Amino acid sequence: MTNAWRAVGITYIQYSNIAARVLREALRTELRADAAKRNDSHVKFTPWANGKPAPRQTQSES
Amino acid sequence: MSFVKNARLLASRGSRLAMSRAYSDEMKLTFAAANKTFYDSTVVRQIDVPSFSGAFGILAKHVPTLAVLKPGVVQVYDNEGKVSKFFVSSGSVTVNEDSSVQVLAEEAHNVEDIDVNEARQLLSKYQSQLSSAADEKGKAEAAIAVEVAEALVKAAE
Repeated sequence: MTNAWRAVGITYIQYSNIAARVLREALRTELRADAAKRNDSHVKFTPWANGKPAPRQTQSES
Repeated sequence: MSFVKNARLLASRGSRLAMSRAYSDEMKLTFAAANKTFYDSTVVRQIDVPSFSGAFGILAKHVPTLAVLKPGVVQVYDNEGKVSKFFVSSGSVTVNEDSSVQVLAEEAHNVEDIDVNEARQLLSKYQSQLSSAADEKGKAEAAIAVEVAEALVKAAE
């Protein structure tokens, strides 16, 4: 399987992300806004030090 | 002694389990995406999926298979012969020995939910992005988007 995208180092996960984004963009107007929320992913994590939680941090990626 | 008995019990249970998981005349489909579950172990007649190893149809007793989904239309034929069409962005399809099938997509929608005019606009937008892309990676990313947009236009028309 020789894909142009694979040759430049794009993985299937990245391919999948692009494909999913384009599909969301092509939805009917009433569905599009809600679908666009899935374009970004957020991870919330709390580091612990000396048995106490430190302030929560958020990592976002689109 | 009891070990032998237990071993025998396990063996008989194992063979019964193997039998219940043997080839089935019914095909149970689970079709889910991050946005929605479309089918949950529902008995259907046929499923057509687009994959990187080519588009193929699945009936009960299909040989166990794993395939990677390509952007395109999944068609599901229920037992009454009614056809439902869904557009999948990407994901995987698994056909098991017991005739159960899992289609897992990153994003999937009813074909009717695609806006054909929007899809056409996206196609020309990404085509111009492809021709103006400066580097190889940008070009490859735009080419993926063009491929998806083409499939969307084809599916929605």
